[in-house]
Amino acid sequence: MTGSGRAPGSRVDLDSEQMGRDLVALVLTVVELLRQLMERQAIRRVEQGDLSDEQVEEIGTTLMLLDQRMKELCDQHGVRPEDLNLDLGPLGTLLPRD
Amino acid sequence: MTHRAHRDQAPDTGVTYVFAVCRGTRATRTADVTGLVGMPGGAAVRLLPSGPLTAVVQTVPAADFTDEVWQSRLSDPREIERYARAHHEVVSAAAAHGPAVPLPLATLYHDDDRARRALDDEAHRFHRVLKRIAHHAEWGVKVYEPATAPEVAEPVTVGGGGLEAPAAGAGLAYLNRRRGVQERREQRRERALSVAESVDAELREVAAASRRLRTHGAVPGGDGRVHVLNATYLVAEHRSEELGVLVRGLGERTGAMIELTGPWVPYSFVGEV
Repeated sequence: MTGSGRAPGSRVDLDSEQMGRDLVALVLTVVELLRQLMERQAIRRVEQGDLSDEQVEEIGTTLMLLDQRMKELCDQHGVRPEDLNLDLGPLGTLLPRD
Repeated sequence: MTHRAHRDQAPDTGVTYVFAVCRGTRATRTADVTGLVGMPGGAAVRLLPSGPLTAVVQTVPAADFTDEVWQSRLSDPREIERYARAHHEVVSAAAAHGPAVPLPLATLYHDDDRARRALDDEAHRFHRVLKRIAHHAEWGVKVYEPATAPEVAEPVTVGGGGLEAPAAGAGLAYLNRRRGVQERREQRRERALSVAESVDAELREVAAASRRLRTHGAVPGGDGRVHVLNATYLVAEHRSEELGVLVRGLGERTGAMIELTGPWVPYSFVGEV
């Protein structure tokens, strides 16, 4: 009707490379969330003292390797660790910020 | 004067943009608003008296303020800033002459008559808000936790719980390190929340009203400050000095960085209009 000038789409920057990166960041965020939940759970159980030393060592090593692997994946995809988060509005962020 | 302005305007090309509503006192009735620019593309900013109230208005091109145009404007931060600044400039000028109820950005009426009718219909509420904000100003307060909490060094060893077993391999060391990080984070969070609560509680003592807004969390730009309180207070003019002193004192006592901005036209305290 009254010529809106530019099409509304022209304002959105559709950069497929950026979208790919965003998707990778989203996937890694979810993986990191699970990793952190497992870590918290492990720490809680260690604190309760119901794990043997070997179990503690094994869980710790596994979580450490996962952490390293996450960092490698982030490096590979050009995602910074601080990008791995979601802003949930009034609820704060998905992952705690250091 | 308003009458002529109204007649000159072609009925379907101009609409009445209302910036603020004031009491129709001598000060506001004789206020000089001609120097104000107002909205881009609009006619001169003028006063529109109606009964005991006076609105600060401007005739703007209707085609420039359709829903469609406004929606596309909303997606452009620079445009929004331009319009918001223009709006704010007029509101601030109106508030310089006495209490003024700022209306939301892009409050439009079909013509002056409609605007006047809205003023009359809502007169009670406008008067109530005018009474509340008279001789009051809004002050924004932001509290930031400094990036480096001073007690960072010790908590790694806090709450041992038999974990310092001799069989401390890499896995155990890792878990302990993570536990330290978690504990420090929890401590910082608790400290930040308690600082935010005590700052808010003390500031509410000097304020007539207050509102808590969303915090921004970690500050972009990376200096690591964390935003822990975002609040705004309606403070009587004669207590604004007290507020400043209190904020400085709170900053020294809590070690947090407290940012005080204002005085503002009380945008946050007229919501019920």
